[in-house]
Amino acid sequence: MRHAGFATRAALVAALLVSALAGGVRAQGTAPLPSGTLPSGVAYQLRPDPSQDAAAVALWYRAPAAGFAPAPVPGFSGLAADTVAASVGVTGTSLGQLVNGFGGVLSVAVYPDSVSITAVVPPDHAAAVVRAMTAAYFAPVVTEDGLAIGLRETGQDALVRSFDPSEAIEDALGPTLFASGPLHDRTIPTPGSFKGLGVAEVRAFAERAFRPSNAILVLTGAVDGGALTGVASRPGAAPGASEAPAPEIVRSTPAPSPVPVTGNATGIGLGWVGPPIADEESATALDFLADVLFAPRTGLVTKAVGDRKASVSGKFVTYHTAGVFLVTISGDDAAAMQPIVEKTIDRVTRPLAPAAFGAARSGFVYRLLGDMETPAEIADTYGWYAVEGDAAYAPAEGGTDGRYFALASGLTPQAVARAAARYLGHPPSTVTLVKAQAAETRS
Amino acid sequence: MSRSPAVFATVLALLAPLAAQAAPATDVVDLGGTRAYVRADAAVALTGIELFVRAGLDRETDHQNGAAALVAETVLQTPVDGVPLVEAVDARGGSLTFAVAAQYVRFYLEAQPDNIAPLADLVARALHAPSFDPTTLAAARGELGDRIADTESDPRLVGLEMLRASYYRDGAGTPALGTAASLLQLGPADTRAFYTQWYLRGDAFVTVVGRTGTTVPSAGRALADALPAGTAPAAAIAVRPLTAQPKRMVTHRGDVYSPYIVIGFGAPALGDPDFPAALVMRSMLSDLFRQDEATTRPSVFRPVGSIYDYDVDPAQLALWVNGGQIDPSVGVAALDALVKAAASRPLESAVLARYRQRARGEWALESLSLDERAWSIGNAVAHGLNADAADQVGAAIDKVTPSDVERVAKKWFQRFDVALVLPRGDGG
Repeated sequence: MRHAGFATRAALVAALLVSALAGGVRAQGTAPLPSGTLPSGVAYQLRPDPSQDAAAVALWYRAPAAGFAPAPVPGFSGLAADTVAASVGVTGTSLGQLVNGFGGVLSVAVYPDSVSITAVVPPDHAAAVVRAMTAAYFAPVVTEDGLAIGLRETGQDALVRSFDPSEAIEDALGPTLFASGPLHDRTIPTPGSFKGLGVAEVRAFAERAFRPSNAILVLTGAVDGGALTGVASRPGAAPGASEAPAPEIVRSTPAPSPVPVTGNATGIGLGWVGPPIADEESATALDFLADVLFAPRTGLVTKAVGDRKASVSGKFVTYHTAGVFLVTISGDDAAAMQPIVEKTIDRVTRPLAPAAFGAARSGFVYRLLGDMETPAEIADTYGWYAVEGDAAYAPAEGGTDGRYFALASGLTPQAVARAAARYLGHPPSTVTLVKAQAAETRS
Repeated sequence: MSRSPAVFATVLALLAPLAAQAAPATDVVDLGGTRAYVRADAAVALTGIELFVRAGLDRETDHQNGAAALVAETVLQTPVDGVPLVEAVDARGGSLTFAVAAQYVRFYLEAQPDNIAPLADLVARALHAPSFDPTTLAAARGELGDRIADTESDPRLVGLEMLRASYYRDGAGTPALGTAASLLQLGPADTRAFYTQWYLRGDAFVTVVGRTGTTVPSAGRALADALPAGTAPAAAIAVRPLTAQPKRMVTHRGDVYSPYIVIGFGAPALGDPDFPAALVMRSMLSDLFRQDEATTRPSVFRPVGSIYDYDVDPAQLALWVNGGQIDPSVGVAALDALVKAAASRPLESAVLARYRQRARGEWALESLSLDERAWSIGNAVAHGLNADAADQVGAAIDKVTPSDVERVAKKWFQRFDVALVLPRGDGG
């Protein structure tokens, strides 16, 4: 009952603040800027496209997936985000129910140092979802029923991810590359991860992580800037500062390789630490390299795999402190493929021929643009780069005339080879993922 | 957790909704005899062009299952400048895909605006003279084999194919991509004959979406002109009438891990006056047994769901019951009870309002990516409708009345076929 009482009070105050704010921004009579910070401390990115049939409303937070406490709880941020979406406050309707009733889609995505909540809804419900989502997260209601749903769905999502070789291997590579920090602490919960966690713990995380001053609100698709007038606030709190990036320590020497890890999938993972997001030129070069090596059909590694029974994927992930270049190899021929993959990666430490380089860049630009077609995809791009601390570097910003694509256009074979040599020109950290049952049998 | 409609209504009343954006119109452009339907969106960076060729499943004879897909895949595998077309397009900064439906096969080309014309020229070369030699056909069979394997590992799609085979007559009811065995029966002469007979410019049309520029019309024209001139006789899709006693079909699959029951109804197509009410029915039926959710659940964790194939007239609506989430017999009994109840009395207005709202939202989210938008326009044109017909559906859903739902439930949802997709052996 104590929890329920708190929930009701918080939601009521949040709802009142929505009413008070509505009209405040609109009364100024000016269209909101594409980016900015609201008086409550909420940073926003507003990129309308009225030609779309739907709107995306997304909240992004810098928050470690494993929680703020010294003892990491993998996937805690997802549990908290799910629980808030499922908890019913004074309105009698949870955010999940509201979006579902609109025929929309609500999703939570967990990353090592951030978490996002995204709703895709018809245009005429976008403003209502902005109000409801910000009210739900800025003054979080956490109920026992909501926690039960959150635990169920977090468990389901963890199960799916654990059976996906790429997801499972990438998650397992974190501890081999970092001695501490969000990537070290992993994002996929195990069945026992949440043991002993209750409403109080989830609420404490939610109140710290989901506060307005730590939020980045992204509105894309068929949404009107007037929706910003409905953004809620947290009662009685000064805006405050956003969450600082969690300390992260890169291993000075690689973990003993290969590191065996048990799970539901099998495969091999290779990982390298890359540049931070502030080194935009190097980060762009590594994005490009990932495409050169692993693009469907035309990637150098993809071609090297040929008809073998193996699936190989690779990507560079841009983070605030240090990016990571991750490769996963799965399938019956995974072990045989590993030296071929490593040899192919070594090739790109030398400059590509100009013609091949030009064609590869053309494909890279196309595939990047192809990942930014829907409102949700565009919101993801803005959210990710904003939460990692460099919104202006988001590929969606300015389109092909923006900073990201200008850097891509400026890449040269020599510069890319230098980036490859610097970041990929040494042995990677390696994990071998084996099925738990097989590991037990062997032992 | 319980819902509180009264509080919900109060909150909604406080939230002033934005006015819906006016839907952009689709322009019709003549490409020298072939029509192009162009809908521009300057906010996106890419252009998508889709060529609709009247060479779909219903063109296949009894001995040609898989021909529509194999010919289309052969176009993608035809060597251009020494590499398969699809790879050549990839390597030059674009993508080319195809899909087979009951009446049309469609090729979708996407690239940056300044690159679309050169890539269309490339595609036109292969489209004009596909290579039906054994090597290219073998490559095409290999590509299709991977896609067939994906379909066969999804129990919902397995059930849907069984229901299509039962409902549609002739080629329209055959597996969309063929089977491994049927593809092996099709050689160079068969595929060439299929191409010659059905790949005709007079029956084709083009849709264009995204950032359109001055080169786009010529790109569309290059694709259309690649097809030989001519038209083929019009043909309608024929169905087997559903019977009062449901037809039951069973299959056991090795890569299926939970039993699924898939129920197939005949359903109104886009443009049919019953279509909006059928979408409301779909929302109601798909909502059965839905638990309170934080986030939208993937289908594997949902007890009931639907697949509405409205790219063919008559259409088909399949409802699936996931035996991994719910006792299938309970699920089927509840679905049966719901369709009978819907046909016997009008829905309460509050219930109808709830499902109208959901149906309208689900409809809005059906076509968001560029290729989906290109398909949506083309689907309307293929049905003989205005290219903007899909834009009108949302407003039509808002006007659905209790008697509409009752009428549609009576007309379309009382007879059905049932497909059982069961794990093989111990079920994994």
